Amino acid sequence: MSELARFQQAFVEALCGDFAPLAPWSSRSDGEARFSVYRNTAAKGLADALSAQFPTVARAVGEGWMRAAALAFAREHRPEAPALHAYGGDFPDWLAGFAPAGEMPWLSGLARIDWAVRDALFAADCAPLDTAAFAALSPDDFGDTCAALHRSATILWFDDGTAGLWRDLQADPPSAEAELAPEPGGLLVFRPRLEVSTRPLGYGAYAFLRACRAGESLGLAGQAALSAEPDLPLANLFGDFIAAGVFERIRRSPDAVW
Amino acid sequence: MAQQLTAGVSLKPAYMAEALHVTAPGLFFEVHAENYMADGGPRLAALDAIAGRFPISLHGVGLSLAGDAPPDTAHLAAWRRLVGRFNPALVSEHLAWSAWNGAYVPDLLPFPRTRAALARIGDNLARFQDAIGRRVLVENPALYMPLAGHEFPETDFLAELVRLTDCGLLLDVNNLFVSARNLGYSAEAYLADFPLEAVGEIHLAGHAADSRLGESLLIDSHDAPVAELVWRLYERLVARMGARPTLIERDENLPPFAELMSERVRAERLLAKPAAAALHV
Repeated sequence: MSELARFQQAFVEALCGDFAPLAPWSSRSDGEARFSVYRNTAAKGLADALSAQFPTVARAVGEGWMRAAALAFAREHRPEAPALHAYGGDFPDWLAGFAPAGEMPWLSGLARIDWAVRDALFAADCAPLDTAAFAALSPDDFGDTCAALHRSATILWFDDGTAGLWRDLQADPPSAEAELAPEPGGLLVFRPRLEVSTRPLGYGAYAFLRACRAGESLGLAGQAALSAEPDLPLANLFGDFIAAGVFERIRRSPDAVW
Repeated sequence: MAQQLTAGVSLKPAYMAEALHVTAPGLFFEVHAENYMADGGPRLAALDAIAGRFPISLHGVGLSLAGDAPPDTAHLAAWRRLVGRFNPALVSEHLAWSAWNGAYVPDLLPFPRTRAALARIGDNLARFQDAIGRRVLVENPALYMPLAGHEFPETDFLAELVRLTDCGLLLDVNNLFVSARNLGYSAEAYLADFPLEAVGEIHLAGHAADSRLGESLLIDSHDAPVAELVWRLYERLVARMGARPTLIERDENLPPFAELMSERVRAERLLAKPAAAALHV
């Protein structure tokens, strides 16, 4: 190992709390006190990045709690790349097992939605499919036509009211009534143009988009939607999705791999 | 870039709307390259709009030039895309490291300036410059603790890097001021030894005293206006060296955009003074 590599190894150990390996390079008695600048800067960088990626979690738990959770997470998960806006993909799952979050079982779900927003924000730009492309379709075509969701889209489902809670927490200032309604519900997060959109999803709408994402034909997606929610106004829902730019392209081949 | 750069400011998302409509000859905007390493989205679109009106400087904080490993190939590819998209007037990175064993530390870390380190950093820098087809300006770091094992003073080390790679230098006057105070050397003596002919950009920023060690440990915090002592150092430097593109750097505790622009005007006025004044300083 080169001297530079040994130095870096010692420095990282010192960042993690053990200054002894770095001591041979520290030429002054107050070296460790001065070294704490690096510990503080690194910790602040990681905590700031996670707070930026998970603003709704931070709003729900407060700045101090968020920072403590971020630092606990960072001890186990170091960023793998210098673009820090990509750091924290494991945070939602990690939160689900974080003991202090035990009283807030919805917190991990809020984090998943925040991450979906982040994904949509940085996804490759792509104009959504024009409504005219759908106007040419007749119901006879639905059996062998698939509609692919926009590349920025994430669909999520929550058996508790996490989706509604997340939406309540977006109000600025957050609505005083923000609380967990006991209704299951889903959420679509996507960015058809420059702004990220979110839409609440009921049972049928979620089943429909899920089938589309899985590469099912529009016919099968419609059946899935109606069996999840028999009185769903399917045609209206489909029209709304098209107008909102939820789809990226259609293909008339049931065997297509999406 | 046909336009002559004078003084610029850090461009933060909060400033985008105002920045787009400002008019100031010689103004340029600098961003941290890593913040724009994305497939798409509004942040890149906003920078496209700015780059359509103003020269852009891409300032890297994550290449880890002073690490004992070649630059990450995915990171170099991301750099190539940014340079292709924004055609920056300036590209810069730091004499520091941040990556180790596949993990990334969000800070600019020091190292012993040895001959072996010089060879490694020279190689890393050459790979970077080759990958993006640009001359890169390397920035002097803010240092907090004295290290044993240096074989070069920092000024000689930077001069050797210039000789080895034909890179340029980014002279951060605040880093110099902070390091000189923290490590107990003379900022003026450092400047007397600095290879000024290679300087392609100057950084000015604010600093803060450490909450525990006070004025004996200054932090390169970028959260305050440029300090008066740093302005004075800058003024003497410009009088001696002549004008170079100068950036007012601000990353934290962001003031209104107009306040940052007024600091920029102060730099611009100093840059416009005739260099002959140097004879009388």
